[in-house]
Amino acid sequence: MIRKLLFNHQDKKQLYIALLGVFIGITFLVTSVHYLLRVSEFGKDTEIIGANILVIQRKVTSSSTLNLTKTDFELEEIEQMKKEPFIDDVQAVVSNNFRVWLELNEKRIPPFKTDVFIQAVDKKFLDVKSDRWKWKEGDSFVPIIMPRDFIVMLNTFMSASGIPQISDELALDIKFRLRISNGQKEEWVDSKIIGFTNEIPALLVPEEFMDYANANFSDGSEANITQVMIAGKEGEFGKLEAYMDEHGLESRNSQVVVSRLKSIVGTLFGVISGISVIAVLLSGLVLIQYLQLLMTNNKYEIRTLLRLGYAPKGLINAFFLYFLKLFVIIASLGFLSFIGLKIIVDEIFKTGGINLNQSISWISFITLALSLFIFAISSLITANKGVLSLHNK
Amino acid sequence: MELKFENVIPEPFASLTFDSTSFWGNSWTLSKGERVLLNASSGKGKTTFTHFTYGLRTDFKGTISFDNQSIKDFSIEKWTEIRQQKLAVVFQDLQLFSQLTVEDNLQLKASLTGNFDSEKAKYYLDFVGLADKWNQKCAILSMGQLQRVAIIRSLLQPFEWIILDEPFSHLDIENASKCMQLINKRCDELKAGFILTTLNSTEAVSFNREIKL
Repeated sequence: MIRKLLFNHQDKKQLYIALLGVFIGITFLVTSVHYLLRVSEFGKDTEIIGANILVIQRKVTSSSTLNLTKTDFELEEIEQMKKEPFIDDVQAVVSNNFRVWLELNEKRIPPFKTDVFIQAVDKKFLDVKSDRWKWKEGDSFVPIIMPRDFIVMLNTFMSASGIPQISDELALDIKFRLRISNGQKEEWVDSKIIGFTNEIPALLVPEEFMDYANANFSDGSEANITQVMIAGKEGEFGKLEAYMDEHGLESRNSQVVVSRLKSIVGTLFGVISGISVIAVLLSGLVLIQYLQLLMTNNKYEIRTLLRLGYAPKGLINAFFLYFLKLFVIIASLGFLSFIGLKIIVDEIFKTGGINLNQSISWISFITLALSLFIFAISSLITANKGVLSLHNK
Repeated sequence: MELKFENVIPEPFASLTFDSTSFWGNSWTLSKGERVLLNASSGKGKTTFTHFTYGLRTDFKGTISFDNQSIKDFSIEKWTEIRQQKLAVVFQDLQLFSQLTVEDNLQLKASLTGNFDSEKAKYYLDFVGLADKWNQKCAILSMGQLQRVAIIRSLLQPFEWIILDEPFSHLDIENASKCMQLINKRCDELKAGFILTTLNSTEAVSFNREIKL
């Protein structure tokens, strides 16, 4: 009866426009924040090198080949890089200063031995649990991170030798042995692959092992820093790329492409999110305005109901729940529309070779809940103010 | 519920003087079950009295108390409870919802206390000659008919006092008498009292105490 009295016989044009605004706003807001998260996560689970991290070196040119320009980094230069606002951190990649061989230590597989090049990087640049990535003298094995290209090369050799190829899973089980030497003394150390990387062309070992080996097996030559790892700030890849161009630096192409893509798509979805927030706020404001208008139009009815003995709380709830239900229905439709849109957008990304995590992100639900919460609070305050102002009048 | 009025003077009347027989500026106690007539000419404050007693205005000097509690101290919840259970009212301007039917108007009030009895409502309407108006919107009823609907609406709730602000102003003697019969009958049922304000005609009104404003 109350609903019939208060909400029927009203011009609902403004209400429908506001609801349409909420629907569009929620759809785009939830969609854009979902893809902001998914794009920023892209590549995190498949790569052991942390997100937004580039391994860079100087471009090798004819003059550097002729030793006219240097290809290594000075410590001062690294400190200077750290000061750039778009760079979070820079650390040198430490290389071996001794000879290293990698040998298969498996009876199941024919003997295989090769010279390798090992490097160590600061733990914070690796997406690997610290208890798996450590070494000390006396440990039974050295954990290593293997370049994926190395496994491809190994499999090519296996195939050519008529030996079954090894999968990533099997590679993690195979026992290897590192032989380190400086020509006068040598040592064999068991090792085990704990992960793979596409981004670094050398075997990665813990810094503790590199320090130990460099101290005990160094050939005496000076260790130059030829590569550094840079942690760039999220969404500011464009600035880092310009800096690299300006200073004659380069990175592996795949890293550059992914970072550029993430930066562009992230910015695009960031802009859409911003516009969507404004759309949701504006349409929410129009809805609240409609609530105020409805209360003004119903001033006589509200006042009379209060005079008849209706509790203000009951009338406040009537207005609040009416608008909350409308908002929940429209926001739910917006969310369903997001799911439909997501199927299309995921397909577009997939066609472009980008396989994003396809589950609905938690941030989509949080965004929806937050919008609902803000609207609920605003409409409750408006209804409360409108009804109580008419009590005992 | 005992109603006590101690030296009540509306603030707009503050500069005026009142004699000892006037309601304003003197102390009056109305005991449960009393049937009181407030008789006054235009502009003497009949509607003002209704609004003060019903808690719609507080611009008065003196004290109005229900069971020795000043009504100025009542909370919103207390007023809600009083209007649902203890105090019924017929406003001079009736305060009906013209967009709703007679049934809806009656139901809206009675359903507050969860005891809407459509048979009783129909009986009351029939008694005052409005049986055929049950499904009609109030917007198309005459003032006299609306006045009778407003009286019936007030009688459909539990109360200890009913305040009637010129309830028969648009009724002929016959209809006013019928309405008075209904009011008395309902007051008897509930052992309740009434305060009825009128301009001058007291022909149809049965009361046991008269106070002049």
